[in-house]
Amino acid sequence: MSWFLLLLYLLLLKLINITMMHIFTRLPSSIRCSCKDNRLLNLTKSFSTGSPAVDTKQKRQRRNEIFDLEKKRQKEKVGRIEKISVSYKGPPENMEFVMNRGISTPYNIAQHISEAIVNKMALALIDDTTLWDVHRPLENDCTMQILHFEDQDPFHVNKAFWRTCSFLLGAVADNAFKDHIPVSLHSFPPPNVKSGSFVYDVQLGLDSWVPAKDDLRTLSAEFVSLAKKDLPLERLEISSEVALDMFADNAFKVEQIPDIASSNPGNTVTVYRAGDHIDISRGPMIAGTGFIGRATITAVHQIQTDLGQFYRFQGVALPRGIMLNHFGYGILEDRARKLNTGRLPNQTDDYFTPLGSSSEMAS
Amino acid sequence: MNQAEVSKLVSQLRIKVDPHIKKFRFKGGHTGRVYRLRQVVTGLFKHERIEANYTELDEARGYAERLISDAIRHGDTHEETMEAASYWLTEKQLVHKLFKVLAPRYQAYDISYTRMLKVSNHFPNIHPRAVLELRGNPYPPLFPNKNGNRNLIHNVLLEEAKKQFRAEKYEEIAKNLEEKAEAAKTETGSPSSDSDSQTGTAAQTMVEAETSREIEPKEGSSHAPKTTS
Repeated sequence: MSWFLLLLYLLLLKLINITMMHIFTRLPSSIRCSCKDNRLLNLTKSFSTGSPAVDTKQKRQRRNEIFDLEKKRQKEKVGRIEKISVSYKGPPENMEFVMNRGISTPYNIAQHISEAIVNKMALALIDDTTLWDVHRPLENDCTMQILHFEDQDPFHVNKAFWRTCSFLLGAVADNAFKDHIPVSLHSFPPPNVKSGSFVYDVQLGLDSWVPAKDDLRTLSAEFVSLAKKDLPLERLEISSEVALDMFADNAFKVEQIPDIASSNPGNTVTVYRAGDHIDISRGPMIAGTGFIGRATITAVHQIQTDLGQFYRFQGVALPRGIMLNHFGYGILEDRARKLNTGRLPNQTDDYFTPLGSSSEMAS
Repeated sequence: MNQAEVSKLVSQLRIKVDPHIKKFRFKGGHTGRVYRLRQVVTGLFKHERIEANYTELDEARGYAERLISDAIRHGDTHEETMEAASYWLTEKQLVHKLFKVLAPRYQAYDISYTRMLKVSNHFPNIHPRAVLELRGNPYPPLFPNKNGNRNLIHNVLLEEAKKQFRAEKYEEIAKNLEEKAEAAKTETGSPSSDSDSQTGTAAQTMVEAETSREIEPKEGSSHAPKTTS
């Protein structure tokens, strides 16, 4: 009898060993996972069932189809090609260009000048006042300057960079989870570089999820792999009806669209696309994701609002050409781990004061 | 052992010498080659920054370095140095420049006196090109100094991190001071220690507060929210 018990005991040990092995062999794969097929392996929660399976892939495809159709329609609407004159100011010299109205973009102008400018250009400045996306067609006669990360005062470029990072963070959050975990993106607060982290607020079908270190690493890897693809950011202005159709699967966006459209002339909504991810943003954004160099997703905080529980994804990144040693970058990462006090999903103010925070104590 | 130390007879070059033989041919054979080297050295001392084929500059650089180090070492009264200078520098006023301007400039240098950078060549010229310059020249720098610009994104982020760190530290110090004051009150009647804490440096008070917190950890934490109201 005792012999039998011993055998049973050994068998049990073996079984435990096998399950442990199973966990550990999956762990590295989650770190190395590509954005294509492996979803984030949330080891504690991936076995939770009961939440409805949603086909995010199909939704994304549908959204892209609408985007493509609308883009094609707008392109055809240009009709007969008219010429505009663009005077380019700045290095290497002042130049005059004759471009196509509604077709040519600042990027095309840079292509005429030099490859170095094409690689450097993050944003364009039209008529000394308007910030213009690099891939946005020009509409009128104008003067143009290029903005880049190493300008004397790159304030606007930094801001656009931070906005782009928030946008991509949304893409990562949307992509990274397995299909049985419903993800709905809410929005991100206005970009503020000084806050130390870029943010995206997301509602997840997980309750009180605390990401492990490896989960964050997986998210960071996804972010970096998106950046490495060097995807251009396409901008499109669409009517609110099209926007409502496009984001029909996201209740938050459906709610936001009328508000956004009413504040814009022509009742339009601006959407951006990078790869197959589409999101609403006022813009402007930098030319492409290839400008992102070092990046880390540092924290996912739970935040409670009237709309329910949200997860605030936070990260920090530096542009490609800007080098910082690991100690300095570590300081930035540590700071980005603290809860960002940017606008909450249901708020109208730009900031909130979390309970028991230092700012509350000081006031 | 009255032998001279051979290693110190000639001053050591502060640049890395590439031991490989370079293709470097000129009209006039060896004489033409030396003539060209003299031209380059003279040009460098005259203009302080020159662009030419890489091989020429790389070879002439050593002679320029040697001239300057000898000028610093021996001064203008040393016959051999003067002879060498007037051989390499084909213009008389540059010899004066070497002893009166460059030697004082490089007196305190502990790095090389020249700097060489590779630059791109343009089509008809297939040889690699370079720029050779004397350090401390009056021209604008070849590369902009990125670290100096406080508006660049990493500097903005670091500056804000610094501010936040300081704010946290001040808060901590203030909290410790308050804790200490509370502790002094509860002990009843020790005004001398209170005045000590005011005069003492922040570091001292922090250390003292640390010790007081160790004694009464619960009290410290319970006082913290009171300060907010």
